[in-house]
Amino acid sequence: MSDRRTPTWADDSELHDEYGYGQQQGQAQGHQQGQQQQGQQQYADNGYPQQYQQNGQQQQHQQQQQYGHGNQQQYAATDEDQRRYAQQESLRQYAQQAQTRPRVQPTYPPYQEQQAYQGGYVTETGSWRFDVHDRTTSYPDQQTYDTYAPYDPYASYTAVEPEAAPASVEPEAESEEKPGYTLPPVQESAWAVDGGRSKLLGRWVMLCVLLIQTGLSLRLRGTAFQDEALYIAAGHYEVGNILHGTPVPGDFEGYFSGYPKLYPVLAAMVDSVAGLAGVRIVSLFFMLGATALLYATTRRMFNVRAALGAAALFSVIQSTVFLGNFATFDAAAIFLLALSFWIVVRTGRSHILAVVLAAPPAFLAFGTKYAAGLYLPTLVVLAVLTTYRYRGLLAFARGVVFGGAMLAMLVASYLYTGSLGGISQTTTDRAKGADTAATILQHSSEWGGLMFLAALGGSIAYVIRPSMGEMPWVDKQGPGRFRRISLGVVLTGTALLAPVYQIHLQTEISLFKHVGFGLLFAGPMAGLGMSRLVGPHFRHPQLGIMLYVLTLVFGMVQSQQAYSFPDSKEMTAILRNMVDRKGSYLAEEHEVPAYYLRDKTDYDQWQSTFGMDYKDKKGKQHSGTDAYSAAVKDAKFDVIVLRGTVTPEVDTAVTDALRGNSHYRLAAVSRFTTSKGDGAFRIWVKR
Amino acid sequence: MSFSVRRVRASRPVRALAATLIAGALLAGCSTFSEEGRDQYERGQGEQPGAEGTGEASESAKPEPPYDVRPLLDPKKKYLGVAADGAPAKMKAVEDFAKRAGKKPNLIEFYSAWGDQYEQELVKNSWDYGSVAFIAWEPFETSMKDIASGKEDKYIREYAKSVKELNLPVAISFAHEMNGFWYPWGTKKTSAADFTAAYKHIHDLFDDEGATQVIWVWSPNVTHPMPKVKLKPYWPGDDYVDWVGVIGYYAATGPNTYQTLYGPTMTQIRGFTNKPFIIAETAAQAGERKPADIKSLFQGTVQRDDVIGFVWFNFDKETDWRINSGPLSEKTFKQQAANSSFGFDVTKP
Repeated sequence: MSDRRTPTWADDSELHDEYGYGQQQGQAQGHQQGQQQQGQQQYADNGYPQQYQQNGQQQQHQQQQQYGHGNQQQYAATDEDQRRYAQQESLRQYAQQAQTRPRVQPTYPPYQEQQAYQGGYVTETGSWRFDVHDRTTSYPDQQTYDTYAPYDPYASYTAVEPEAAPASVEPEAESEEKPGYTLPPVQESAWAVDGGRSKLLGRWVMLCVLLIQTGLSLRLRGTAFQDEALYIAAGHYEVGNILHGTPVPGDFEGYFSGYPKLYPVLAAMVDSVAGLAGVRIVSLFFMLGATALLYATTRRMFNVRAALGAAALFSVIQSTVFLGNFATFDAAAIFLLALSFWIVVRTGRSHILAVVLAAPPAFLAFGTKYAAGLYLPTLVVLAVLTTYRYRGLLAFARGVVFGGAMLAMLVASYLYTGSLGGISQTTTDRAKGADTAATILQHSSEWGGLMFLAALGGSIAYVIRPSMGEMPWVDKQGPGRFRRISLGVVLTGTALLAPVYQIHLQTEISLFKHVGFGLLFAGPMAGLGMSRLVGPHFRHPQLGIMLYVLTLVFGMVQSQQAYSFPDSKEMTAILRNMVDRKGSYLAEEHEVPAYYLRDKTDYDQWQSTFGMDYKDKKGKQHSGTDAYSAAVKDAKFDVIVLRGTVTPEVDTAVTDALRGNSHYRLAAVSRFTTSKGDGAFRIWVKR
Repeated sequence: MSFSVRRVRASRPVRALAATLIAGALLAGCSTFSEEGRDQYERGQGEQPGAEGTGEASESAKPEPPYDVRPLLDPKKKYLGVAADGAPAKMKAVEDFAKRAGKKPNLIEFYSAWGDQYEQELVKNSWDYGSVAFIAWEPFETSMKDIASGKEDKYIREYAKSVKELNLPVAISFAHEMNGFWYPWGTKKTSAADFTAAYKHIHDLFDDEGATQVIWVWSPNVTHPMPKVKLKPYWPGDDYVDWVGVIGYYAATGPNTYQTLYGPTMTQIRGFTNKPFIIAETAAQAGERKPADIKSLFQGTVQRDDVIGFVWFNFDKETDWRINSGPLSEKTFKQQAANSSFGFDVTKP
């Protein structure tokens, strides 16, 4: 039988004695005695306080032994120990005072076994309770142990003061009569403190989340998209350039949206072993890693439930599902951002210099995809906000250290590589589109609106109350209101960065992928929102499930719609018989055939429809669409492949030039269906 | 009691949050789950929206590249062609011809009326025999205007799809002898502009369907029966025609040498195109001159590099055009056909 009379949470060394009962011990005792005198207690006064008074040291020793029954470590008999005991005692007394309802439940007094055999006792209601204590008290359902929750309206304090026992009974005697086993301490997971079991449970749920994410991503199928083909093909040339110094065809640095010697090299290496499917699997691992890191980050910031919510929501939004099977910079960049985010939060309680560890992944994320640079300021602000060990200027110092480290790396790399035209062309100075703010906002809300709303709700709830109050007596040393507001604004606001920036650029290109970057940062807040939606004690699980399922359905459908590229299998099979190492080929989305036919052709043999200059046979210089018509009229290309939608102006120019052109003959039409509609690759060959 | 108050207060933000989420979902769902969104989703899965996947699936299951007809367009050797009774449905007549000629023909011509389906079986028969099928497509019961205006598109597209599906090379000569006056699509009832418009329209539809297996034959009659009809207005354009299929018979009356029979027509055509010639229909009328005519045909074809062969009209129709109309004719034909310039494996031109 356990002798504990205080709940195990009271063992917590960081127990916060909100009302200062530990200091008012004497007073409380007097008060208690007063109560007893008033006849409210029917038991003799031989409670702890008295014992403590009488043989304080001994009692303390006994207490120490009692703790040994549980999973606790032995405590040294120090002042700290005394203080702890005093706090526990005061809480117990406080609970007694808080008890308002009369006890109707007969309870077994813990000390009865030390008394002479009675065979029963008078209950509160005056009836006789027959009780063979040796049989009943060993079972937990006899309520011989203490549970209570002072703020929980459903709970009542059922522990009872010990029955009359002679004060002279030595505590040692009790320990000799220990029962065969003792109850384990109350598991804390039920009370929202993340104990070992809840962490384990969380990991299992997390595994399910990751499995679902894997399934959703792998469900998408298709031949290489233009960008995938380009980056992998480019990667092969970059590998050759690094290993053998062979020149790279084309100015990849000039128009790539990431540094061509980072991700493309990795992609090409994987491609030579496992093909496109392998490169896409690498992306899947990146995205799974990002989800797992988001979980770890959120758990560090808040708790397991919020972490599960964050991971669950992030794992099913369309960008995550899409990028998990898409061999481009994006997945790698998101993973690196998540890694940096996690390190920033993880080192929040360490020395401020530890945050420097987060700088390399953040810098690499920027190098991998320049658009990730949009989120570096967020990381710097987070470095300030997540400093828990220091306050004030030192917190700012942490941000400065982090920002400085990143800046140093950027400067160093700039000196190494020189200016990168790709940054301006693909990221900052992208050609202005014609997409209106309204459409961009509408689509962004479709893509990430649910998770954003959850994050918004989470931020607001977090600002109003830092915790859900399942355990109001637990230390609430959380961040103050200002820090809570700042965290909410920074994390949730980051989700808006990409849409706002692209509204500025007036283009929607890649926005469906970029919303995922922002939502990674909004993830912790969304997870918090989800856990608040579910409520304390899992009061509204259906709301959480609803939110998850809604997000899942949107993610599934939208990723499927977005993951729809023209099937190029037939087209490349036809081209395979037509190409050789000498020819010159004009192709819309030339990256795709150039990638698939890289064993038979070189990258330079392929001419894109994005623009070219041409000097005709008479020596006249042409540019723009003119160049294409002139070149086709001169039969410069051996094969022409048009898709008809990517560069409509050039397509029109080429088809016009093909009309009445005796050099070419239509060789094949390969039809395909995408979510945007039906289309066809038209292939012309020289006669 | 106080806790009931607390509960109400606690669930209020929850309800508000839930309501906002539902509202947001509905708003966002408007386009994702709209009719258009469903279409997109189905297309994304490779299905035709709203239709149960039936015929389309088998097409995607066969990623066979379309037959590349380019080597057949201007082969090094010459086609030895034949149009024979019942062929290529039944190969008996062709086999008989091959026996008498001493060489297997590698081009088999037959006639197809407007409204007939594309005879996949016949084309396959002749391909299996070792010959390219040559279809003379005769637009009876329609007009060039109707074809050009798109009234016949459905039929033409079906025909084209069928050609694409079979994926074997086929030469198609649409509305042959358009410069004569005897057919409904001839000069009496149809203008040259209408003819070229119809020809181009059919060709465009075939291209649109991706039926690239067709060798397009433009087939005028030799000009001497109607010397005033100029051919150039009937020319659809270099990008629409692969072969110029001149039709001319060695008749009892009229020109009887290669040069006089075909020369003027070919010279006129060389004025606007350099496409190779093929004698799309020819034969010699039975008579004493027949062996000489046969010799003239073979020798003339061999001498001209830009004539890639001829198709012998081996029928006993109106007069006996067959090679076996007389023993001397048959002997001469066999001698001439033995020339190594004639006949080749169409699968390896």
